[in-house]
Amino acid sequence: MPVVTLYLNRLRKLVGVNINKNKIISTLPFLGLDIEEQTKEYVRVEYSPNRPDYATDFGVAIGLQGLLGIKRGLAKFNVKKGTNFYQLKVDPSVTKIRPFVTAIVAKNGKLDDETIRQLITLQEDLHFGIGRHRKKSSIGIHDLDNISFPLRYIAVSKDHKFTPLESTIPLTAKEILERTDVGKQYSGILGSTSKVPMILDSKKETVSFPPIINAALTTISPTKTTNLLIEVTSTDKSTAEDTLSVVAATLQNAGFDLYSVKISGGKNSTPSLKNRTIRLDPTLINKTLGLRLTPATICACLRRSRLDATIKNSKIVCTIPPFRFDILGPMDLVEEVTLGYGIENLESSLPPSVSIGHKDIITKDLDRLSLVMIGLGFLEALNSSMVSKKVQFELTSRDSSKMIEIIESKSQEHTVLRDAILPGLLENLSKNIHEPYPQKLFETGVIFSSANPINEDIDLACVSAYNNANFTEMKSVLQSALKIGFSIKCETKTSHHPMFSSGRTADVVVNNKVIGRIGEIDSKVIDNFKIRVHVVGFEIKLTGLIFDNVIN
Amino acid sequence: MSQVFHPIEKKIILAVRTDPSLNNPGTLKFQTGLSDDQIRRGIEWLKLKNLLEVKESKQTVITLGENAIKARENGLPEKRLRKLVDEGPKSLDEIKKELQEDFSAAIAYAKKHDWVRIENGLIHPKAPLKPLAEEDFILHLGTGKKPVDQLSHFDKKSVEYLKRRPKFINEKVLTSITFALTSLGKSIDIDAVASGAIDVEASVPHTVVSRIHPLKEVINETREIFVSLGFSEVLGNLIQPSFWNFDALFTPQDHPARDMQDTFYIKDKTTAKFATATQINQVSRSHKNGWGYNWDILEAKKMVLRTHTTCVTIKYLAENKPEDARIFSLGRVFRNEKVSYKHLFEFNQVEGVVVGKDVTLRDLMGIQREFYHRMGLTKIKFWPTFFPYTEPSLQSMVYNKELNKWVELFGMGIFRPEVTKPLGITRPVLAWGGGIERIAMLKYGLEDVREFYNNNLSWLRSATRCQ
Repeated sequence: MPVVTLYLNRLRKLVGVNINKNKIISTLPFLGLDIEEQTKEYVRVEYSPNRPDYATDFGVAIGLQGLLGIKRGLAKFNVKKGTNFYQLKVDPSVTKIRPFVTAIVAKNGKLDDETIRQLITLQEDLHFGIGRHRKKSSIGIHDLDNISFPLRYIAVSKDHKFTPLESTIPLTAKEILERTDVGKQYSGILGSTSKVPMILDSKKETVSFPPIINAALTTISPTKTTNLLIEVTSTDKSTAEDTLSVVAATLQNAGFDLYSVKISGGKNSTPSLKNRTIRLDPTLINKTLGLRLTPATICACLRRSRLDATIKNSKIVCTIPPFRFDILGPMDLVEEVTLGYGIENLESSLPPSVSIGHKDIITKDLDRLSLVMIGLGFLEALNSSMVSKKVQFELTSRDSSKMIEIIESKSQEHTVLRDAILPGLLENLSKNIHEPYPQKLFETGVIFSSANPINEDIDLACVSAYNNANFTEMKSVLQSALKIGFSIKCETKTSHHPMFSSGRTADVVVNNKVIGRIGEIDSKVIDNFKIRVHVVGFEIKLTGLIFDNVIN
Repeated sequence: MSQVFHPIEKKIILAVRTDPSLNNPGTLKFQTGLSDDQIRRGIEWLKLKNLLEVKESKQTVITLGENAIKARENGLPEKRLRKLVDEGPKSLDEIKKELQEDFSAAIAYAKKHDWVRIENGLIHPKAPLKPLAEEDFILHLGTGKKPVDQLSHFDKKSVEYLKRRPKFINEKVLTSITFALTSLGKSIDIDAVASGAIDVEASVPHTVVSRIHPLKEVINETREIFVSLGFSEVLGNLIQPSFWNFDALFTPQDHPARDMQDTFYIKDKTTAKFATATQINQVSRSHKNGWGYNWDILEAKKMVLRTHTTCVTIKYLAENKPEDARIFSLGRVFRNEKVSYKHLFEFNQVEGVVVGKDVTLRDLMGIQREFYHRMGLTKIKFWPTFFPYTEPSLQSMVYNKELNKWVELFGMGIFRPEVTKPLGITRPVLAWGGGIERIAMLKYGLEDVREFYNNNLSWLRSATRCQ
């Protein structure tokens, strides 16, 4: 989840009325902002990626004004029609590379260091979230005064040369992609095309190389820059305009005047950045919240959530600004009403119960088995379903040819799904060699086997470790567990397995069907685990024996 | 009070009754033949039983430090220096070689007493030697010790003086005890107890316990609460098609949560049959309308380790379409995370669902309160939050006394129409859930969640609840 730092003095000024810092801090969670860190000067809050308008203190201030009752309804969002002077023409050559571009001009604003920092964070968060790591959309913020209109968005050869941001020498597009950090990081987005997209101005100067880097020419600087050009390139028209709308609204809140840029060529057109309306039935609100709010109250709640709402024929018509693209339909407005009403004002209620609850039969059987195992003196262990190849196969001399692997696990010790529980219990013993013996452990859990596509069964495994641990004891435990727990009689038939001592291992057989294996663990395996006492154990499949497969 | 006397206790009581002047461990040892340790233990036991009154007194004693002991054998460094130069003037280097680590002290104190002068790098004798009080003190004390309060006026001066020199004087506080029988100790009949009795109040060795895993206890408790609130359990596989884990829950196919960075995919495994044709068509359409992209069935076929139990509940609802229901699903879920004190890649989650014609957000909050209340968590509040498949969405915050802060627990919400409609679910569905380890950490006062899966026997054998 993205995080934004809010300086409290600045935030108070933006909210506009002299309000106690503590009041501001205690209101933030009711906007859906989780406080991560709090100091005297600032708070760091986590915001949900579906509300990128909260990526800056400007947007948070708008939300706070609503909940604190300082300002209600839509915040000003006004795009003046730019003259024909601001034009961006799209060349067909970009169609197959990155087809969409949109832009806006923001003038007569002030940029101090903190505002620039907030804008850069907003840009980064948008790149990460809606932009899907710049793949879907990316943003360039430029100093308008260094740009000559009209602009062209065009695909050029990789030999095209310009001075990129934070560089002093001109580089070719190829050099940027191959040598610079941002180039290497994002070159994959452009794929293997021979040409790359550029925004050029009328003097043929490069403005931007999307989605990689801006040109040094249009670098913004605190205090000096007062006029901006914002451009967004994208693989998708509505994503481009959604992204632009968030930046535009933020700049308006920061004091800039917005002017439209005329966009043409391909499937591109000038962005509308208009409000839309959704009709809302008050019944849906009241039914969902369990309240009886009048349409007027509902409108007031929506206005506290910084939307506009009017009543028309007993329905509510809600006006939504373009940057609230998280609102898909009426249900999203129910949430806006809830926040405007105040969650703290909602009283809990209890629905009448119409059902009798029960546990699943597998759960019941496993509970019973656990009780029997504990009665037999065994302690329950819990291991992960994901295990290491080393423990599961190498140290235990087990066959790894059918192992099921996980893609790109972040933990090197957990890369395959367990096909048995016993190896994990041996590892537990090896980590407890300094603890008093006897050590007796059991575990029940899911094991995986290759099928179409994968089978999940539930096993019981059990180990006993101390100097006098022996086969007889283990067989006795196995017999009692099955008999007392489930009235099942089992037999043991001589067998061989490299994990167990030769001559001291057997198949566990119930009704002529092999359900598992029991035996003394082979001394080489015990050595591998650095255990210094005898270990005996068994593992049996409970699925098919006590209960059937889980189907869901 | 124990009615049984240990032979040691009997011996001490009898000895002190016979001769009350046996009032310290030394004389008692001599008289009874008990060892130091037996006497120490016996006195402690009798004191606890209120049979012996024990007085402690503290005394500071002085012994010589290692440098003083050296000086006692070889003479004080300054004196050794003077004796060396009495044989004829010597250079600083020669003296250094002779006195080594005592060199600096020797020069400093010899100059202080005016015994030497240094000229052109040579040391010459000066004023005549004279005896020093501190030297006498060192000689007299030797390897013995002397209580501070028994020092004479002159000794005190010497000690003060020597304390300024490193490692010359050690001060130690010695505790000595004296004791006497209490009135109870004088009168009690130590032989009146029946023979064969044992000390039933004595401490005993620890028995190793076999038990349910502490985390499993909390899991079982959670399950019991759900059942007692009228919920029925639904189990599901740990490995699920992406369709049920993500697509059916309106998570777009390019959503970051679906990256291999966040979710475990199974190598070379896809599923051919995972849902009905209608379900697939409707979900596909819901994604196209809601998110505006072309939904790809190949992505939906990929097998993942489930990232939540919601895939189990949504599939149950899609298949059974209940008009009224209370169900829950509990089990392991997986996230491709780096393991840390607060994150596991595999943990237990519980998820509850209520379906009904008139169920409301307030009901959802009420069920949460009831659940937490039965878990022993009583201070609860709700904050808004965001989940891709519920609207409105809330998170519950629970106040923890030990940590003195609000802890985020279960998330909740009402399934979005974009989730329910395509699957033919017509009634509102309240859903909530979260990790159980987090609650178990509060219950066991753990700060590191990994402890639950370490299978550390000393912890498993001793863990107790603090809440």
